Amino acid sequence: MLASFEIREPDYGVLSPAAWPRIIIIIIGGLSVIYLIQSFSTPQKDISPVPKKTLKEFVLYWRNVIAVFSIFALYLLALPYLGMLVGNILFSFILLTVLGGWNAILTHLVIALGASGGMWILFTHVLEVFLPRGSLTGF
Amino acid sequence: MDIFLEALLNIIDPVTLTYMVIGVGAGLMAGSIPGFTIAMAIVLTLPFTFSMPPAQGLATMISVLVGGLSGGLMSGILTGIPGTPSSVATTFDGFPMARAGEPGLALGIGVWSSFCGGIISAILLVLFAPQLAMVGLEFQPWDFFMLVMFALTVTASLAGEHLVKGLIAGAAGLFIRTVGEDDAVGVGRFDFGSDYLLTGFDFIAVLIGLFAFSQLLSDLRNPVTARNALSDRKQVKVKIEHRRAIGILFRNWTVVIRSALIGMFTGILPGAGGSIANILAYDQAKKAAKNDSKFGKGDPRGIIAPEASNNAVEGGALTPLMALGIPGDITAAIMLGALLMHDIVPGPTFIKDEPALAYSIYIAFFLASFIMIGMQSGVLRVFVLVTRIKTYVLATVILTFATIGVFALHNSIEDIWTLFFFGILGFIMRQFGFPLAPMILGVVLGNIAELNLARALAIDSDPMLFFLRPWSLFFAIIAIFSMVFPIYQKHRDTGSLLERFFSPLVLLSISLPLFMMGGLLRTTLAFAAIAVSSFIMWRRFSKTKKG
Repeated sequence: MLASFEIREPDYGVLSPAAWPRIIIIIIGGLSVIYLIQSFSTPQKDISPVPKKTLKEFVLYWRNVIAVFSIFALYLLALPYLGMLVGNILFSFILLTVLGGWNAILTHLVIALGASGGMWILFTHVLEVFLPRGSLTGF
Repeated sequence: MDIFLEALLNIIDPVTLTYMVIGVGAGLMAGSIPGFTIAMAIVLTLPFTFSMPPAQGLATMISVLVGGLSGGLMSGILTGIPGTPSSVATTFDGFPMARAGEPGLALGIGVWSSFCGGIISAILLVLFAPQLAMVGLEFQPWDFFMLVMFALTVTASLAGEHLVKGLIAGAAGLFIRTVGEDDAVGVGRFDFGSDYLLTGFDFIAVLIGLFAFSQLLSDLRNPVTARNALSDRKQVKVKIEHRRAIGILFRNWTVVIRSALIGMFTGILPGAGGSIANILAYDQAKKAAKNDSKFGKGDPRGIIAPEASNNAVEGGALTPLMALGIPGDITAAIMLGALLMHDIVPGPTFIKDEPALAYSIYIAFFLASFIMIGMQSGVLRVFVLVTRIKTYVLATVILTFATIGVFALHNSIEDIWTLFFFGILGFIMRQFGFPLAPMILGVVLGNIAELNLARALAIDSDPMLFFLRPWSLFFAIIAIFSMVFPIYQKHRDTGSLLERFFSPLVLLSISLPLFMMGGLLRTTLAFAAIAVSSFIMWRRFSKTKKG
């Protein structure tokens, strides 16, 4: 809402550029209040108790999701340096190994090379789409 | 005729046909894998179509769609696990029939019912879309704005008990679309000094993030199931029994037509898709059967109804998209994205202004159904192979593919960040039970709503016009009733006032804008609505007195 007050007000047009986002924010605010009231008015017996988790249990429960988020974020940060080809091979290989375990490391390497390499060839040579090259790798 | 020939030549071009065959195959595969939805397949196809001419791109996407709608039955019949939510009811009778030693017949009935549903809805699409477009020509900015509001509220109301969550999701979708320069006057909003934010989020990256990325994360959440394959079957020796299946369909032609009509009209309704149509059609087939004792035990009608209806849904969903520019469901919303990507804005004049493209859509829809029939047997073998791939491998490959696809849209790494950010948002929303369909519709329709609001106020600053113009009032009324609908459903069979008077009130209310529209047909409809409403009220009053 605060950011909507920083929107420039032009001298032309009937509907201010800030009006529509403000209407939506007010609606979301109103609905959130209703949602909050609904949450409090739900009888306690209708709510199934959520077992409390320690930090370790929480991390274990969500470990795959955390792994995907973290590896994807690292991949994005490294993309300008590694480029799409090397970056994708590394990303898919690491993700496959983290999710699937170290036992099938060779299979993961083959899948990473085949899938990422295949898609890179498809996009750059068949669909003629420019894919980013890495400043370190040149690919 | 020249335009039809031009469209036909566009579609039967060898390159387009090749893409269509690949599209149907990919759709069949995506539809058959539980957890990988048709919408995800369509959204992942979008980047591929970017470099294609519009007709070719749309034909490819329609092929994925038709294939996807038919793919769910393979998994449902052979494994008992529906490949997509639109084939849930198929498993009720398809799986028992397969277990009773008739998997070939069950698949045959499913495949041919899908084909018939698709063809019937394609015919209805050709007939209805131009008619609806003619009605759409009457719409002014007030009406379009209210139509978008109706589309959002009805989609949110389908979240059932979670109506408020659905509405929040829809409003959040509208808000996401406000980031960047506004379309009316070109002023930057919520850009925080970033050039990328000034151009706004690329909505295809947003859609892929919200839908595909978040779905993949949900599939991977459990470390044990993520390492499992869908099935450990080494091979399936099934021969689809086409001749017997066609015979059964002929004997049950009423079920085919009724189910296709249910699918078609469910599809026209914004937000309601195959997941609702297949259950509705199954329920109607069971109710209409003289002997329903075999339902649930392998009754052919239990396969015909859901499969004919779920394939007919897309003809319905494409009707408002082609006629009014308002998508009927998520997949149609993604198709709208494909059209916008090629700078084609569908609306009431779309069929008139772009007849070759409109005909191309019709022809592709017909042709894809025929390709689907031809490919089912072959894909069945590949399906068995794919089901042996572990979930985490499939998810990783799809995620890598999505990343390249999103980058290819504008050659922008920022779009991949958008994918990532909205993937997280979508995943969190899924975990907290927020439906994603209203949000996606909000993202797609956000600028249409704002532009029409701005246009309406520029013509006349009186906001009351939104409730005084007939079509606008019509959409406002059905939007309000669609929001009350989940409460009505909750009170069904309780004998409450709401339960007794909901439907007569709806009819009575919509008679007012119908009267305002004028003309013989609409006035007659208004009188009919009042008569039916009065009859229902009289019956319910007399029941109350007797009670």
